[in-house]
Amino acid sequence: MIDENSRPLVIENLSFRYNSRKEPAIQEINLSVNPGEVMLIAGSSGCGKTTLMRCVNGLIPNAYHGDLDGGIRLYGQSVLDMEMAEISQKVGTILQDPERQILGTYVLNDVAFGLESLGLPRDEILLRVDQALERMGILHLRDRETFGTSGGEKQKIALAGVLAMNPKILLLDEPLASLDPASAHEALQIFRQLADEGLSVVIVEHRVEDVFAIEPERVVYMDEGQITYQGGREGLMQVVDYTRIKLPAEVVFTRAKNDPPPEFEPAVVKTEDNSEELVKFDGVHFRYDEDLPFVLEDINFTIKKGDIIAILGHNGSGKTTMVKHALGLLKPTKGVVLLEGQETKTITIATAAKSVGYVFQSPSQMLFAPTVADELAFGPKNLGYSKDEVRDNVQWAIQTVNLSDEMESPPLALSFGQQKRISIAAILAMRSRLLMMDEPTAGQDYWNYRSFMDSILQMPGFEAIVFITHDLDLALTYANRIIILYDGQIVADDAPEEILLDEDQLIKYRILPTSLLRLNKLHLPETGSFFRAETLAHKIG
Amino acid sequence: MTEKKKSIWRFGTREVVYAAIGAALYAVLGYATNMLQLPGAGNVAIRPAVVVPMFFGIAFGPIVGFITGFVGNVLSDLLSGWGFWFWWDLGNGLMGFIPGLIAAQIVDYRATKSMVMGVVFVVLAAIGGMGVASVSEMWVSGADINTVVFANFIPASMSNIINGVILLPILMVAYAAVSKRSGRT
Amino acid sequence: MDRIDPRARWIFSFAFLLSATMFWNPAFLLLFFLLAVTWYLLGRTRWKETRRGWLLVGFMLFTMIVINTIITGGGAGGVVPPGGHVLWPAGFTIPLVNWQIYFGLTVERLWFAICQLMRLGGVSLIFVLIPYTMDPRAYGATFRGLAMPDSVAYTMELSFRFIPTLGRDLAVTLDAQKARGYELEKFKGGIFQKIARIAPLLVPVTMNAIIASEDVANAMDLRCFGQAKRTWIYPLRYHWWDHALIAFSALMLLGSVVAVHIFNAGGFWVPDWFMRLFV
Repeated sequence: MIDENSRPLVIENLSFRYNSRKEPAIQEINLSVNPGEVMLIAGSSGCGKTTLMRCVNGLIPNAYHGDLDGGIRLYGQSVLDMEMAEISQKVGTILQDPERQILGTYVLNDVAFGLESLGLPRDEILLRVDQALERMGILHLRDRETFGTSGGEKQKIALAGVLAMNPKILLLDEPLASLDPASAHEALQIFRQLADEGLSVVIVEHRVEDVFAIEPERVVYMDEGQITYQGGREGLMQVVDYTRIKLPAEVVFTRAKNDPPPEFEPAVVKTEDNSEELVKFDGVHFRYDEDLPFVLEDINFTIKKGDIIAILGHNGSGKTTMVKHALGLLKPTKGVVLLEGQETKTITIATAAKSVGYVFQSPSQMLFAPTVADELAFGPKNLGYSKDEVRDNVQWAIQTVNLSDEMESPPLALSFGQQKRISIAAILAMRSRLLMMDEPTAGQDYWNYRSFMDSILQMPGFEAIVFITHDLDLALTYANRIIILYDGQIVADDAPEEILLDEDQLIKYRILPTSLLRLNKLHLPETGSFFRAETLAHKIG
Repeated sequence: MTEKKKSIWRFGTREVVYAAIGAALYAVLGYATNMLQLPGAGNVAIRPAVVVPMFFGIAFGPIVGFITGFVGNVLSDLLSGWGFWFWWDLGNGLMGFIPGLIAAQIVDYRATKSMVMGVVFVVLAAIGGMGVASVSEMWVSGADINTVVFANFIPASMSNIINGVILLPILMVAYAAVSKRSGRT
Repeated sequence: MDRIDPRARWIFSFAFLLSATMFWNPAFLLLFFLLAVTWYLLGRTRWKETRRGWLLVGFMLFTMIVINTIITGGGAGGVVPPGGHVLWPAGFTIPLVNWQIYFGLTVERLWFAICQLMRLGGVSLIFVLIPYTMDPRAYGATFRGLAMPDSVAYTMELSFRFIPTLGRDLAVTLDAQKARGYELEKFKGGIFQKIARIAPLLVPVTMNAIIASEDVANAMDLRCFGQAKRTWIYPLRYHWWDHALIAFSALMLLGSVVAVHIFNAGGFWVPDWFMRLFV
């Protein structure tokens, strides 16, 4: 039995309501964490996990105000009686987006930030910074600028900054969200190692399957502000809704047998006589400057009507650079890109936009208008459509994404998922034939991104779709063709069933095989094609 | 519900961040629009970035506004390699400070009354800020009042007024949609 | 220059600005100008890097001195007494509007232009140099060292951090809008429409930055920002030469006040040899 006062974290009957809202964000939360344990708190967006974290790390009630009931104790002492300075030296927090958490222009300054705030002597700060950097294995980054570091490195820098303050508990808010699979895998190993060193590690994440790789001792599932499950890993897989939380494919496969099969009919279909080439890359090389190495080398491929292409590749492999060429946002250094037969060098981007619609990662990078109607009219107006055409296109686009009720709402006030749909509608309204999406699932939880992808692929209007992703499962579920980029070159381009079979090859290209891939491979002789686990469950006896 | 009365002189963590981000934004936009060589019309340069300190003042108070303008201009000159011109930095700071004085009165950013107040203070800010900078120019370079008025004050303040008056309402409408998102109070 | 503490450099720079601008006396201005040249040479900057700065200064000096003082005769307000030895009397009419412009370029005004060049040139030498010799990491600690509160000094440091991030955000938004047919080059309409056309760039970048600031503020609070008197790890140490420079700056300022206000040595005058060149 562990004495209550020596437990790093005990939460009892905790409820909280923000001043700005009517409903409580979390209710009656009870949990506790032991040293050396990894705890996974799973749940979809809006389930209250972020609020719970804020109660533990002191942001509630210090920065966010509202009604708090119940108790949170760190080693027996109530958080409510502690100053931020005290809490922060017991609880270290990593926020979802490491980019926004990094406060220093240089790595050294960033890691030192907390210690500087505490007013420690300079020599001690420098010593502790070096120790923390060493612990994360990034001492070599010490004098680098933070801006140029990769996503994985940024997360390690943020971790070092928190560890320098010697916390006993580590709170991680969706730590895998901004990482590619290889970096995510590495990050998880670090979390486990920190737990082994005696820290209590609390991971808030909806990517349950990934976190299970490091075997969290405790699992908590939250839904609508309450804990609905608390216990071991096995139990969670039986109770939670597998459409809300991503579980291992075999589990979904077994459980989905008892439910009705999912309905999914992509609107973009390959037919034999569809040979019209929308985009053609011919010997494309690209570099930003003569002194710099090539980012793209000898790229050759065509996008035809009926293609649903997933572009896979590690961070920095050139995925985005390649896709930008199709629209003419970048022009090849060598070789040509043809858009419906016209060289992109000879046409303006505005002309190209009539053929190719490009949706960027985050909708907030493009939304600016006071109303959704204005937002959607922006593209077609720029392209010179007549007033009637603009009106008709906007009407059709908003109906297609099912947001007709929001026509007069300000797009910036909509939810993230709605904004995402608006960004697709903005492209639809231009009547572009080809839709290209950069990381379409970024920033959304499992359920949201699946329903988003389902609806985009089933909506009429596009003749071909191309999307960039890190997520192998997304590629094999939705694409009828996969292109793998590795270090600026296309290393594979074929149907998913053809190129995903060789696991060693995939690992070489820094793509990690998933449980869904393995399940599909197992059943490929019977199915002849790749499917999501739910569909597979009904295809196989 | 939260208390609506906000102190405009507070300078806590949130204000530090707004000021720092505002200044960086002013510098980057100023630098970028210089680079883009936007076609101007007559004597009025397209300097859309000036709306940044004005808007940050109105949204987050006079201190944030001042730092946004002052530090932003320092950084912008630094990026452009223009050196350090204290009196123009001060003038830019005032362009954020003056609108900041009405920050507490503006609750609904979409309301016509807020817009009118914002626009009035943008005009005052451009006159006050560029006035101080121009007068300082007189002191440093020994130019006479006519020169300063016609060569510095009128072109600079007119251009800032026009840019500010057009763009401030656009930012206020956008901010009205965003402002309710943050739970921090 | 690297070895001089940045705080001492700022103190000197401001003392110079305040002192030099008290004078129109050519002898003192020459002294200040030579001091500025020496200081500038200590900075050991290369022409290539400072060229942009001097382009701006050149333009400013040109409008101030050539156009305002020499051509229109406006710049010498209040310093050069009216009248004087006219060098080139002329009057002309601006076509179309029929504005009559009369001016006479006097020897006095020409000499004043030279004084102006020394004074403005000196100040420019000192202030153009700052960004080229100052480590961006030093700004926060320096301003803290110059008695600013921690929070304000830190704002400056945090600003530096966000410049590349916002620069990238701006580039992304520009691309995102171009993909919707937005063309910066093709701004149609009057000045109002032209300025309003910047909104698709301005709004997303600004609003994104504001939304992001919630996370940044949280990250700072979680690492105890403002909880104690801040340590600044950037090493700032005064050496004897820094103390000497600060003492010199104080003396320069004090000396200037005394010279101008007690001995009335600040006034403008034209040396005989210069007058004889023309008259």
